[in-house]
Amino acid sequence: MTVLAVSDLTKRYRRGGKPFAAVEAVSFEIGQAQTLALAGPSGSGKSTIARLVLRLLEPDAGRIEFEGADFLALSGAALRARRAKLQMVFQDPLAAFNPRATVARVLDDPLRIHGIASHTERPHRIAALLERVGLDAGLAQRAIHEISGGQRQRVAIARAIATRPSLIVLDEAVSALDVSVRGRILELLLDLQSQERIAYLFISHDLGVIRAVAHRVVILDAGRIVESGDARAVIADPQSAIGKALVAATPRLNRNRP
Amino acid sequence: MTTLLSIRDLAVRYRGDGLAALKGISLDVEAGERLAIIGESGSGKSTLALVIAGLLAWGAKIDGCIDWFLPTDADARGSKDRQASAINSSTPRLGRDIGFIFQDPSSSLDPVMPVGRQIAEVARAHLGIGWQDAFAIAKSLLERVRLPDPDAILRAYPHQLSGGQRQRVAIAAAIAAGPKLLIADEATSALDTIVQAEIVALIRRLVAEDGMTLLFISHDIALAATLADRIAVLRHGELIDLGETNQILDAPRHVYTRALLDAHLGLDAAPLLDRRGAQS
Repeated sequence: MTVLAVSDLTKRYRRGGKPFAAVEAVSFEIGQAQTLALAGPSGSGKSTIARLVLRLLEPDAGRIEFEGADFLALSGAALRARRAKLQMVFQDPLAAFNPRATVARVLDDPLRIHGIASHTERPHRIAALLERVGLDAGLAQRAIHEISGGQRQRVAIARAIATRPSLIVLDEAVSALDVSVRGRILELLLDLQSQERIAYLFISHDLGVIRAVAHRVVILDAGRIVESGDARAVIADPQSAIGKALVAATPRLNRNRP
Repeated sequence: MTTLLSIRDLAVRYRGDGLAALKGISLDVEAGERLAIIGESGSGKSTLALVIAGLLAWGAKIDGCIDWFLPTDADARGSKDRQASAINSSTPRLGRDIGFIFQDPSSSLDPVMPVGRQIAEVARAHLGIGWQDAFAIAKSLLERVRLPDPDAILRAYPHQLSGGQRQRVAIAAAIAAGPKLLIADEATSALDTIVQAEIVALIRRLVAEDGMTLLFISHDIALAATLADRIAVLRHGELIDLGETNQILDAPRHVYTRALLDAHLGLDAAPLLDRRGAQS
């Protein structure tokens, strides 16, 4: 079942007086419980696509179908209701939260705003969400700035799954984490995906991470799709120039030794 | 090999939290080697880079000593007398003897000064030459760091360049006075994979051409391994592993080093998706 279908998505800006396409005629689909990765160098359009899908930006052309409905046609209450099913986790959770808020407050917001749980139910829901992402329920009363980066990213994931989304956009969500923490966060994401059938739009500059968790990959260059397919197959034998360059530039432990 | 600097029982404590950022660090850096310092957040790797460069903030309490064995201008063979406790900065001069590349080139470049002048300023300040000669050096440095159209870049401001180009400018400024030691502190972490590989190749080439010693500070052991002769692993402020790159990769002594290697998601490792078994 297709959760997200994007077709001919285009976003143009002007740079130095000249128009340029940040995203040009991009099309892809993501099925239930599937992970589609977007890879590409800086400026290739990965994050712009994320913002377009989240409707933080409006496209100049193209279509976004989410859960079978025309997502770009929604507005007002209908858009807000549908947004509960489409969540996001960014690279820096500190920037995504009010730093002085408590963990409980951060998780209370989506439950309240989307009317998922009553006032009396919410503390139990919050405890359950924390447990779900591998955190101690006692963390609820701590301030966001007091907890570690890995814990904060788990809270961001807890907030994202609070509304039982069908799709989460993960924009460089593990890029700032220490490698030892990163592995456990990726495991958590895979657990949530298999148990709750969540689809991921997984944006990363790191092909190693993409290969570890993604089913399919789309490689972008200058706003266009240059290659796409099964993640492992594409990374093992890239056909596009930029795909080859990305693979060649990825550090390996067993090669390139001085 | 001759030793460039010798660190003994170094400890650093920041005022405020009172926690030791570094403790009991003893390490010799050999002249001409490429030494990677690896660690995760809070390991003390940046503190080590800063204390070596003499850049540690006021209020940090430093114990132990760093002895430098810099070849003097008069006697390029190097001094035999050990200058103890060089932290009080009698010997190395930042810019002249040590070049420093930071993670974010924007923070080390003046946004309202053309980049050519910023590079020339380093050469002029340390080499005792006039502006004209300094600009000639700046232009040749822009060529050496492989920036296109050096004449145009000389007059460009940092915001007119891409992130990778800015880091090349910062590298040109760092080596403008011909330092013996180049310290790169997460110098490629903010760049995408392709630009990162280019900058690492550039650092490798410049270090070889100028016979510099390199301290490459990174959280990424795989990246460091592509460049380093030796790897030092820091954790919670302590040096827990040190060895030749191949030895660290093939036979790490410390369990934490092995954990770091295992956590690396390479292009040849079994994907997490598979390790978990069935996934449709």
